[in-house]
Amino acid sequence: MARVAPTTGSKILYLLCLIIGSLLLYIDINYKSFEGVKNNYKSALITSSYLAKSLTIDPFVYIYELSKLKSTLIDENKKLRRELDESYLSNFIISRETKFFSDSSSIEKLLDFYNLDKVFHLSEIKYFDTEKYFCCDQHRLFIQSVTPSKKNFTGSPVFNSSGIVGQVIYDTGIKEVMLLSDSTHSLPVFSDDYFCNASGTGSPGLISCSYSSLIWPKPIFEGQKFFSSGMGGIYPRNVYVGAAKNIKKIDDVNIKFDIVLATNPLKENNLAILENQ
Amino acid sequence: MKNLSLFKIFILLFISNFFESLLAPFFIILNIIVPVTFLFFSFIAYNSRTNFNAITSFVLGIYVDLISDSFFGLNAILFSLSSFVINSYSNTFKLFSYLQICIFFGITSTFYIGFLNLFINVQNFSYPVLFVSFIFNTFLCLILSMSKFYIPNLSLNKRV
Repeated sequence: MARVAPTTGSKILYLLCLIIGSLLLYIDINYKSFEGVKNNYKSALITSSYLAKSLTIDPFVYIYELSKLKSTLIDENKKLRRELDESYLSNFIISRETKFFSDSSSIEKLLDFYNLDKVFHLSEIKYFDTEKYFCCDQHRLFIQSVTPSKKNFTGSPVFNSSGIVGQVIYDTGIKEVMLLSDSTHSLPVFSDDYFCNASGTGSPGLISCSYSSLIWPKPIFEGQKFFSSGMGGIYPRNVYVGAAKNIKKIDDVNIKFDIVLATNPLKENNLAILENQ
Repeated sequence: MKNLSLFKIFILLFISNFFESLLAPFFIILNIIVPVTFLFFSFIAYNSRTNFNAITSFVLGIYVDLISDSFFGLNAILFSLSSFVINSYSNTFKLFSYLQICIFFGITSTFYIGFLNLFINVQNFSYPVLFVSFIFNTFLCLILSMSKFYIPNLSLNKRV
């Protein structure tokens, strides 16, 4: 049976759909009005996949473990591993020898500020859209605290054992973390007397800075180390961020360069959320 | 092809979106983007016995926006446009060869990728990616259309 070409009425309907679509697009881009819906969907998806896994795969795993009479040992092993992870992260924060802090005074200040016992909350990655991480500008991951907490961590910085990973932007039980390489993210960094707001490039593991040689006459060299300046009030000061690379002259005075991040969000499953206050 | 119910289309789009997210990290290394969800929707619209309604296309687009975490309205616009073009040329397609139809779908998928990248990946917008994707998607459509001759059991459309 032949299909009928769109009539004037259906063409008007298509036009109406295009107008409504454009309107929705404009509202979403400018006002982010649908973030709530998207977050609820993601939370529901993660929860349902978690439930499905715990109802289907986990019982078999448990029976298998039980059949091998090692369940107690496995539990203990898991507990020890978790404690070890916590210890690694704790050592990262408190160690005076660590490379990530450029001087010892900053860590003393950090310890005083964060009140060591409640300094961080160990979390696990629940969902990471690697497709978007590799292809697109939006670099987000979803984490959940190991120990449930009623505190809202929106705005809190997130670390792994290599340094800063990003910042919590939504906390609805499952926390959405905006990575440093997200194109909408901005991180104040410094190196010697040079300061800049490094913005995410949308490429994995890269952030970029630009400066005018009229303002900062001292040139930036490849491999120059950059640290967080703490000027945004979110991240602690003096945390090692990465090294300069791909230094390019945009014109006679303006220079742009990338910073290769020291952290890789794909490397570890455990992260630490630092408390804001 | 028998017309699929809306519920089945929703599930199939979800599955194709899942596969798209699985394949994308591997293809992007080769500078290729395969919009599996969009191609699947186009295939359904193309193979449908009746015209796809504008509202149906729009709703399916919104649904894909939700499951693929893109801006609301982005896929809705592109799906509506795609179904309009397919509906308009549904009878003309019968005069085309398979190669021409595959090139048509290659072009629409390239337009889709380009338009999508303008909104979600503007900083890394790349013409080589578009060009390579166009060639790859055209060949992919060609292989799929040829597969029905070599593997008849896979044929979904017995009428052609």
